[in-house]
Amino acid sequence: MKRLRFFSIPYLAWMLIFIAVPTLILIMLAFSDYSLYYPSRFEITWVNFQIFSQSYMSKAIIYSFGLSIITTLICFVIGYPVAYYLANLPEKTRKIWLALLIVPLWANMLLRIFAWEKIFTPLSIFTDLSGLSLDLLGTNTGIVIGMVGMYLPFMIFPLFSVLERMDYSLVEAAKDLGATDLNVFFKVIFPMSLGGIVSGVIMTMLPAMTSFVLPARIGLGRINLIGNIIESKFMKEVMGSGGLSINVGSLISLMLMLFSVISFVIITRFDKEGETLI
Amino acid sequence: MGKKLIELKNISKSFGDLVVLDHFNFYINENEFITLLGPSGCGKTTCLRLIGGFETPDDGEIIFDGKVINDLEPNQREINTCFQKYALFPHLNVFDNIAFGLKLKKLPKTEIVDRVHQTLKLVKLDGFQDRHISTLSGGQQQRVAIARAIVNRPKVLLLDEPLGALDLKLRQEMQYELKEMQRTLGITFVYVTHDQEEALTMSDTIVIMNEGKILQIGTPEDIYNEPKNRFVANFIGESNIFEGIMIEDYLVKFVDREFKCVDKGFHLNEAVDVVIRPEDFDFVPPSKAKIKGIVDSLTFKGVHYEINVMVDGREYTIHTTKYREVGDRVGLSVEPESIHVMRRQRS
Repeated sequence: MKRLRFFSIPYLAWMLIFIAVPTLILIMLAFSDYSLYYPSRFEITWVNFQIFSQSYMSKAIIYSFGLSIITTLICFVIGYPVAYYLANLPEKTRKIWLALLIVPLWANMLLRIFAWEKIFTPLSIFTDLSGLSLDLLGTNTGIVIGMVGMYLPFMIFPLFSVLERMDYSLVEAAKDLGATDLNVFFKVIFPMSLGGIVSGVIMTMLPAMTSFVLPARIGLGRINLIGNIIESKFMKEVMGSGGLSINVGSLISLMLMLFSVISFVIITRFDKEGETLI
Repeated sequence: MGKKLIELKNISKSFGDLVVLDHFNFYINENEFITLLGPSGCGKTTCLRLIGGFETPDDGEIIFDGKVINDLEPNQREINTCFQKYALFPHLNVFDNIAFGLKLKKLPKTEIVDRVHQTLKLVKLDGFQDRHISTLSGGQQQRVAIARAIVNRPKVLLLDEPLGALDLKLRQEMQYELKEMQRTLGITFVYVTHDQEEALTMSDTIVIMNEGKILQIGTPEDIYNEPKNRFVANFIGESNIFEGIMIEDYLVKFVDREFKCVDKGFHLNEAVDVVIRPEDFDFVPPSKAKIKGIVDSLTFKGVHYEINVMVDGREYTIHTTKYREVGDRVGLSVEPESIHVMRRQRS
């Protein structure tokens, strides 16, 4: 075992260079006024926190939460019955359905976003095929539909994996003790799938909240989420407009990272064996 | 006892091409401890699931308290089940598991608490109410499963090999406790097992099954002493089985010798099976014996020795407390009432 430790070195080095060091840099930037254009200036300061008093920032936070919560709710309402149905299928058909769910994930994310973009334009191939004309670019509806299409599998998989593992004799036991079908669902199946629900909700909500390509393309820049603000802050620095934009961008990024960490702590509290994480 | 509580009339059940129960008939009296006994795959669990309402019969009627209940859902039957693998709810603690049925009945809270505590006391799990299911041992989970069923005061409790997963010592303890519980609660127990010893110790009535058919119904004594055929004799305890001929009433011939017996009512010279329990043979001096042989092997079994005696090229199994050396010449005798004569199975 000891000798095998050697093989973890590349991974540890990777972690150090691409995760630990950048995080430290983010922290350093977020709490200082350091800038690429004034390398000699370095003072620890809270001034970057002023971004949160900006109305466009609070709007972005509200939109990020709002749209991702709506997306998650829709994914849950669609995903739970699908997961339940899949879990109760005979093994052969189940595998086919699961493959159908997984295969789209292999298509590049940008490609799928561009596909949505095309479909949401008034005169698209979708119009030719169905006769329906959609005009959803730049709307919240468009973004939510796109995000649901994108993240639905992340809701279904954790739910499926808890429901599939559930012992059917528990359902029989509940019925035996006088439970109606509705009782069985709310008192046994639903509470027992709680771990999967928590995982599914977080795994849908987190990427939805932090996504930036999708709102940028489908929202046409009219709707900005937190991710778009971060992007624009960093781009500004690259373009050379300076200010404290890179520092502000780092601060917002750190905030999102903190949010992710908290989310995963929550998942592990509900799902100790990690059975719902794929 | 005496009143019929459950009756299965002409029940048939198949899964695909496999006939699991074939024109099944029997009844269960009130307050009876009845055991369905048979090898695995004989249909005993299916029979239990039919009574519990988890399966519906293809044919025939299940009658409960005078009413046909074929189409009643499990939740509408005054019957509770103690499942083979317990099927306790892992997301609930001991108290909530046991209170599950009572809460569904919307009983007042104080009554639920009272009844759960009474039941915990009964299954000797005082003070366990807040424990999580996963922290309990197999035996404790078993008790919770029983408590969860009996707290509802069902008329009938179905038990599907409930002691299968426990070790021998615990199993024997639980056998005693289950029987005790059944007596004090006055609930009808329908018990499924493949363990003949368990069946003999606990039951008022045993139903012996094989391949979806009932072979014999009777008290443990009846079934042990008067097995109806070879299969029953073999299944209930070890046996020496001989092919023989009934010469006349009270006289049977097997292994080319004639023996007095207590059976009658066969045709003259009817072919029969003769069963002699290993503990019914006795050693006598070879000169006085009809059956003479040589000790072939000897195994110490605790209370008794198991001795195999070779007689005319055939092995006889004998359980005795008397010691004999391998190679000893011995004579065997058997009392007429220990010779069980039964009609030959037509197969």
